[in-house]
Amino acid sequence: MKLFTRYSRINILASILALLLGSIGYYFMIRGILIHELDDALKVEEAEILSHVQTLDQLPEPSSYRDQQISFAPAATPIRRQFINITRFEHHRHDEWQPYRQLLFPVTVKGRGYTVTVTKSEEETEDLLEWIMLVTAGMILVLLGTLFMANRLLLRRIWQPFYQTLEGLRRFDLSKRESIIHTPTTIEEFRNLQTVVEQMTEKIRKDYEMLRDFTDNASHEMQTPLAIINSKLDLMIQDQQLEEKHHRQLQAMYDAVGRLRTLNQSLLLLTKIENNQFAQAAPVALEVLIEKKLIQLEDPIRVKHLTINADVQPCELRMNAYLTDILLNNLLGNAIRHNCDRGSLDIVLRQEFLQISNTGAPLSFDPATIFDRFTKGGHSEGTGLGLAIVKQICDNYGYVLTYSHKEGLHVLRIQFKSAAVGTGRPSEFRQNAVLGLSHE
Amino acid sequence: MKLLIVEDEKALADSISSYLQQENFVCEIAPSYTRALARIEESDYDCILLDINLQDGNGLELLKTLKSNHKTDGVLIISARNSLEDKVSGLHLGADDYLPKPFHLSELGARVAAIIRRRHSAGSNFIRLEDILVDIQARSVTVKGRSLDLTRKEYQLLLYFAYNKGRVVSKNAIAEHLWGDDTGGADNYDFIYTHIKNLRRKLVEAGAGDYIQSVYGMGYKLMIP
Repeated sequence: MKLFTRYSRINILASILALLLGSIGYYFMIRGILIHELDDALKVEEAEILSHVQTLDQLPEPSSYRDQQISFAPAATPIRRQFINITRFEHHRHDEWQPYRQLLFPVTVKGRGYTVTVTKSEEETEDLLEWIMLVTAGMILVLLGTLFMANRLLLRRIWQPFYQTLEGLRRFDLSKRESIIHTPTTIEEFRNLQTVVEQMTEKIRKDYEMLRDFTDNASHEMQTPLAIINSKLDLMIQDQQLEEKHHRQLQAMYDAVGRLRTLNQSLLLLTKIENNQFAQAAPVALEVLIEKKLIQLEDPIRVKHLTINADVQPCELRMNAYLTDILLNNLLGNAIRHNCDRGSLDIVLRQEFLQISNTGAPLSFDPATIFDRFTKGGHSEGTGLGLAIVKQICDNYGYVLTYSHKEGLHVLRIQFKSAAVGTGRPSEFRQNAVLGLSHE
Repeated sequence: MKLLIVEDEKALADSISSYLQQENFVCEIAPSYTRALARIEESDYDCILLDINLQDGNGLELLKTLKSNHKTDGVLIISARNSLEDKVSGLHLGADDYLPKPFHLSELGARVAAIIRRRHSAGSNFIRLEDILVDIQARSVTVKGRSLDLTRKEYQLLLYFAYNKGRVVSKNAIAEHLWGDDTGGADNYDFIYTHIKNLRRKLVEAGAGDYIQSVYGMGYKLMIP
C-alpha cells in the first residue's frame, strides 16, 4: 500500500468519525436550544392564563389555532406541572404524525380544580433542524472531498523528492560514474535523506574504485617481477651443463609462471572491461569470427577427436573487436577444454542468440556459481576467470548469459538484445567432424 | 648490430642483454630516461628496446625526441602497462612494435630480429638457413630450390626458430607465440610436438639437414652446424 493511500485512508476515516460524532452532538444541542425556546413560549402562555385566573377567577376561553391550542379539563386531584412531547395524527396537515410540545399545569377556579393543557406545534423546530442538518451534511461532504484531493495532490508533490531519490537508488550503478540527481527540497527529513544517500553512495563508489585500482595496480606491479623470472628461466635453459632433472624442475617453474601470467592478465582484462576501457565498437560479423576461431582451435579439436556441429546464420553485432575475440575464445576454448574424448561441440548462431553446447563431465561445483570469479573444477588448469570475463563482457553490452545442463550437455547461451542489427543473406555453413588443415 | 636497452629494472635488462648477445648483437643498457636521452644523441642504434614507465620520464617522450631528430633507429616498446592506448600512441609515434611484459626472451629476440631485418637490409625478404630459404614476403619455404608445403603453424615455427637460431626456445614460449595468450596448458605441448615432428619430417624429406633439436623435452633449438 502506498504511503499516501494509507495516510488518506486514516485521515479520511478519522475525519468522518469526528464529523459524525460532531453532527450528532450538534443535532442534540440545536434541538435542545429550540425546545428550550418552545418551552419559554409555553411558559409565557402559562403565566398569562394564571394571571387571568387570578384576576378574574374564571377560566379563559379555550382556543385552538394552528400553532397553539389551549384546553381545560376538570381534574379531581391537581396534576403535577410537566412538559411532554406528543405526536398526533393530523388530517388537515398532510395526513402525517406531527410532533407537539405540551405544558400541563393545574389551576383552581372557584374552588374547582382544572388541568390546563397548552399545546404548541414542533413543526417549525423540526423544519429548522432539518435544514441545519442538511447544510451540515453538505459541508461535511465538501470538506471530505477537499481533504482527499488536498492529500492526493499535496502528498504527491511533497513526496516527490523522496520518490526521486528512490528512483536514483534503483538506477544506481557502481560501474557508471553518474551520481544520483536530487530535487532541491525544503523538507528537512528529505534533505537529510538526500545527504545520507549522497554520502553513502560516494563512500561505496570510493571503496569500489579503490578496490579496482588496487587490482589494477597489483596486477601491473606483478608484471615486472614476472618478466624477470621468465627471462631468467629463458636464460637458464640455454645452459648446456643442465641435466635432465633440472629440466623437469625448470619446466614446472615455467608452467607455474605461465599460470601466474595468465591469471594476472585475466584480472587486468576484467578490470579494464569493468572500467569500460573498450568503449570503441564497430560492427562485427560473428559468423565469420566463429569460423576463424574454429580454424584457430583446430589443434585441440583434432587431438580430442571432437565433432563440431555448427549451425550458423549471419549475425552482426556492434562490439569491440578485441572483446569479441576474447568472448569467442573463452567460450569455444572452454567447450573444447572441458570436453571429453570423441565428444561433441554444437554451435547455434542466430540474430538473437549464440548457443554453445558441449559434452563433458558434470560440474563439480554449484552451477549457480559458474560465472563467479575463480570458480573451476578441481582438475582444471584454467584460471577460473574465463567465464567471469565472458559474463562481464555480456553485462557490458546488456546481453544475457545463461548456463543450463540438458541431456548431458553443458549449454551456454548468450541472448543478444532483441533488436539485433542483423542483416544479410540467409546463408548457412555446416561443418561436421574434423576440419581440414588449411594452408595459408 | 647495436642495440640500446632502455629499462630501469636491472635484472631484466641484464637478461635481455645476455640473451641478445648470443645473436652477436652489441647491447648497451640505459637504466634511466636521462641516460637513454644522452645515448640516443651520441650514437645510432639498429634497434632500441624502450620501456615506457621509467623512473624519471616517459619512454614515449624519448620516442618523440628520436623522431623529431629524424633518427631512423628501430624501436620496440616493452611495457608493463599492457594498455591499448600506450600501444596505439606508441605505434602512432613511430615505434615498430609493441611487446607487453612479461615476455619470453625468444619472443623478444624474434621481434628484434624482425625489426632489424626490415630496417637494415631493406629489400631483403629472405632468411637463409644453410640449404633452407625462407621468403618472408611470400611466406614460402624452399629447400635446395624446391618449394616446401608447410602449414601455417609449421611456417610460423620455422621462422621463430630462425629468429632464435642457436638458442633453446621453451615450449611455453612456442605455445604463446603460436596461440597468443591461450591457456591450453599441457595439451599445447602435444600440439607443439606434433607440429615440430611434421616440420622436421618435411625438411628432412626435402633434403635439408635435421637442424631442429629437442632439448630434454622442455624446448627446442635450431642449430646450423
